[in-house]
Amino acid sequence: MDGPIETETDTFIQVAEVWVPKDGLLVYAAGDANGLGAFEEASRGTSFAKGEGLPGKAWAKGRPVVLKGFDGSYFKRVEAAKEAGLSAAVAVPVFDGDTLKAVLVVLCGDDANRIGAIEVWTENRDGLLMLDDGYYGAADEFEFVSQHTCFPRGQGLPGGVWAADAPILMRDLGSGYKFIRASAAGKAGLTSGIGLPIRVPGAKPYILTLLSALGTPIARRFEIWDARGGKAVLIDGVCEREGALWRDEGDGTRADAPRAEMWKGHIGQVLGSGLPVVMRSAAGLPASYGAFVGLPCYASGVMTHIVAWYI
Amino acid sequence: MSTRKLVVIGAGMASGRALEHLFEAAAGEWDVTLFNAEPRGNYNRIMLSPVLSGEKSYSEIVIHDDDWYAQHGVTCRFGEQVLRIDTEAKVVEGENGHVPYDKLLIATGSSPVIIPLPGHDLDGVIAYRDLEDTNRMIDTAKPGAKAVIIGGGLLGLEAAAGLRLRGMDVSVVHLNGHLMERQLDESAGFLLRKSLESRGIDIYCGANSREILGQDGKVRALVLDDGTELPCDLLVMAVGIRPNITLAKASGIATGRGIHVDDQMVTSHADILSVGECIEHDGAVFGLVAPLYDQAKVVAQTLLGEDATFVPKQLSTKLKVTGCDLFSAGDFADGEGREDIVFRDPGRGVYKRLVIEAGRLIGAVMYGDTSDSNWFFGLIRDNTDIEEMRETLIFGPAYQGSASLDPLSAVAALPREAEICGCNGVCKGTIADAIQGGATDLGAVRAQTKASASCGTCTGLVEQLLQVSLGDAFQMPTAQPICACCDLSHEDVRRLIRSQELKSQDAVWQELGWKTRNGCHVCRPAVNFYLLADWPLEYRDDPQSRFVNERKHANIQKDGTFSVVPRMWGGITNPAELRAIADAADKYNVPTVKVTGGQRIDLLGVKGEDLPHIWADLNKAGLVSGHAYSKGLRTVKTCVGTDHCRFGTQDSTGLGIKLEKILWGSWTPHKVKLAVSGCPRNCAEATCKDVGIISVDSGYQVSVGGAAGMDVKETERLGDVATEQEAIDLSVAFIQLYRENAKYLDRPYKWVAKVGLDWVKERVVDDLGERARLIVAFDLSQSIYRKDPWAEHVQSAQAFQPVADLTLEAAE
Repeated sequence: MDGPIETETDTFIQVAEVWVPKDGLLVYAAGDANGLGAFEEASRGTSFAKGEGLPGKAWAKGRPVVLKGFDGSYFKRVEAAKEAGLSAAVAVPVFDGDTLKAVLVVLCGDDANRIGAIEVWTENRDGLLMLDDGYYGAADEFEFVSQHTCFPRGQGLPGGVWAADAPILMRDLGSGYKFIRASAAGKAGLTSGIGLPIRVPGAKPYILTLLSALGTPIARRFEIWDARGGKAVLIDGVCEREGALWRDEGDGTRADAPRAEMWKGHIGQVLGSGLPVVMRSAAGLPASYGAFVGLPCYASGVMTHIVAWYI
Repeated sequence: MSTRKLVVIGAGMASGRALEHLFEAAAGEWDVTLFNAEPRGNYNRIMLSPVLSGEKSYSEIVIHDDDWYAQHGVTCRFGEQVLRIDTEAKVVEGENGHVPYDKLLIATGSSPVIIPLPGHDLDGVIAYRDLEDTNRMIDTAKPGAKAVIIGGGLLGLEAAAGLRLRGMDVSVVHLNGHLMERQLDESAGFLLRKSLESRGIDIYCGANSREILGQDGKVRALVLDDGTELPCDLLVMAVGIRPNITLAKASGIATGRGIHVDDQMVTSHADILSVGECIEHDGAVFGLVAPLYDQAKVVAQTLLGEDATFVPKQLSTKLKVTGCDLFSAGDFADGEGREDIVFRDPGRGVYKRLVIEAGRLIGAVMYGDTSDSNWFFGLIRDNTDIEEMRETLIFGPAYQGSASLDPLSAVAALPREAEICGCNGVCKGTIADAIQGGATDLGAVRAQTKASASCGTCTGLVEQLLQVSLGDAFQMPTAQPICACCDLSHEDVRRLIRSQELKSQDAVWQELGWKTRNGCHVCRPAVNFYLLADWPLEYRDDPQSRFVNERKHANIQKDGTFSVVPRMWGGITNPAELRAIADAADKYNVPTVKVTGGQRIDLLGVKGEDLPHIWADLNKAGLVSGHAYSKGLRTVKTCVGTDHCRFGTQDSTGLGIKLEKILWGSWTPHKVKLAVSGCPRNCAEATCKDVGIISVDSGYQVSVGGAAGMDVKETERLGDVATEQEAIDLSVAFIQLYRENAKYLDRPYKWVAKVGLDWVKERVVDDLGERARLIVAFDLSQSIYRKDPWAEHVQSAQAFQPVADLTLEAAE
């Protein structure tokens, strides 16, 4: 590690939580409240029926849900969120077939300096991907452009993820791409993006994209793991401290790529449990990062990938 | 030592790897000058496609940066063409001057093939070979612009996917009937085509290009043989490469399709070596990276004067298009004597084909699921005999019996409130929180939580929790598993049986990841004991999981006969019992009648078929099994005590009988022997027993952990008590603690040495609540097991057919 450990990072996502079904309700399983103890306490004491609150809404609708502005909404922990300075949230359901395994909820604050994007894309009547909803912080222009952009299959980050049915990590978002959206991303300071397919019941595709800016990054390290066959192999990743993380000789065998075994370490927890994993601790995390979010991707009833980010 | 001069022409991946090997083995011995026509050093050319698609940045694929070259003292002459090589004078002449060499390494790589179609020199017609080509494509790509790729091989398809991702409308024109025909069969080619078409790429297979049309000197369209016109703003030719031999040929070095090299990578000139895509070795040229790296190793060794030989190996291929998972290796052409194994899963778009010849895997093609590609490639490369796993080969290594359930899964699956350390009542959540809080080794966890700080039997579980939380950051100490059937230690299995409430052998095999169907002669008896000790009501003793003596309820002798030892409570007998024993000895022709060290009578030489009958006869006289064969209570030896001895201080015989009546029939990790002496003269030899009681005027001295076998050890004092009942309570509680915690086949003295006498005292002597619990637990167990096995067998003589081979007696 080159630099000192950064203990306080002004991140775009401030809180991440995992909710799991238990006895017909969604209950708090784990989370990183980023020091917002009162909000964490409120979460631990709450559970959601199907359709209730944000996690319950994602469960009932069977798709990712973006919620901006909690006042007057179905969000249940309004007071605690307000006290913690949280103003928007995205709930990502993790389904294995028709069965809900968990809901990952990420919550963001709202101030003039907070730049980033959490987007949900889905198919419109013309067979193009259009923005279902998204939270952008202060990146208003980029939000406007995104709302007016469609992607065919195979094009751009959302269209690429849709066509590949696999997570994709894009570098240098603002340069080299001729999309109008890319130009807006460059202006907004968005530098890297990760997109992943969210498998939900029904035929409609949902693509989640997380776009990260330097000042208020979603994460300082992203990883994509191939999780097929009961083991995980790191296939792509970038890290502010360690640089490129992938190891690939180009012959398909990836002999030197980092691997994770079931249950062993943080990636192993995702692989073994099949659930999203959120933890705040430096213990066991690479490059002395202090928090970890791992999200499994499913296809045809099997876990195919794990997308992970570190703060 | 003077340095030697090495000149390298070409800073590609092959020469770069050769330099790495050279510097690693002989740092400072070579003065290296590196020419490169491209204005940069070594980068991972194979990963240009992800740079094109935006999934990698150029900086990520740089292999050697300026610092690396500086660090190794390499004189870089990048962007400079080499004009000629003077092989006589041993000088390389570059555009900016000449450089003498002792050794020269030519690594000029390859050039893309440009099909000389009419219009091939139009602006916008490019090859796909280097960073300049990649940047040109990136610059041209914009949403709505059109690109045509000629060539449906690896490079062409990667270019197509990358340009599509950047927003272009892309068509691929391929001469052959299916894509990547050199690497894929028709079925895999079909799936690949389907996947590419689903991302909006138009594929034209079996299509021959006729002409490139232009407008104002710029490419406008490609015309196919059938007249189809494919409009384009960019036309990429990706139809192959040819070795770049121009410089070598002009310098008089022997060439064919490539620069001729021998097995040591030496050209026709002894001081000139060559490596990479520019060479021809044994009639073959090379385009994939793996053989280039093998060549690079040989180059370095040859330069160092070491023996080395380049041997081409099996190759594998990967397409770097996210979402198109394909793998191909070996030879998968049809042929006589070759058999195919094919697996298809249409729902998941998976196709796997294995080609087998003479009991060996010689080729593999996979699409959609390549997770086991390393394993299959290893089988091909190592020419492994696969006959024995042929039936399940296609399903990969997980089906070959080599993979087992990860023992960590059992620990990881425990809820936070599951108790890990029974001694100190520490649950999983507390330990996990401590680890997350920075306790990253066993010592720190012990210090913060007290887990594993007492008896230590949960140490394995705590270590596994450390591994679950920390992954590779925690180095797991090598634990001794029970046997080859599982990866867990005795202590871990005990702990998990309790915490996961496993109440049957099947539950243990399944939940703890046993690798065998139902254990072996080592683990079955242990697991059987652990289950009956922890779940006396729910689990029933399994006779098939016992050693032969315990199954037969008699000790087998070396001649195949058995010994029969009836119990004599506290060593006391009477004429009726003695007559019954004598009658039995007569009736069944018992050749030897022996008085044992445990104060009873052993009938040796009883035939197996007579056992139920002799037991029945002895039962009639009120005699029961002495359990002389069991891992359980054997004897309670006594002296005559106050009844007869003038030195006796307490009724040692009476206490011995009471203890034996309470303890008999119980199963323990190993055999248990007791003795009660009536005074410190210790005629019952109580100080070498598992539990020894010595009567004194003030009461009873209870001591434990003695031995008088292969090890000899005096007992240690557990406690002094005033009453007979307290002496019984301490003895029973101690034995129950032993039953609950010891490893199977550990005698009490070994177990006490592991956990420490203080730990035992805390529970048996100091903590009255725990003592009471232990006694209640023992009584509960005895409600099942305090009975005569002889009587049961007399009622229903049972012939056991063991499932596992249990004829081996564990060493005692």
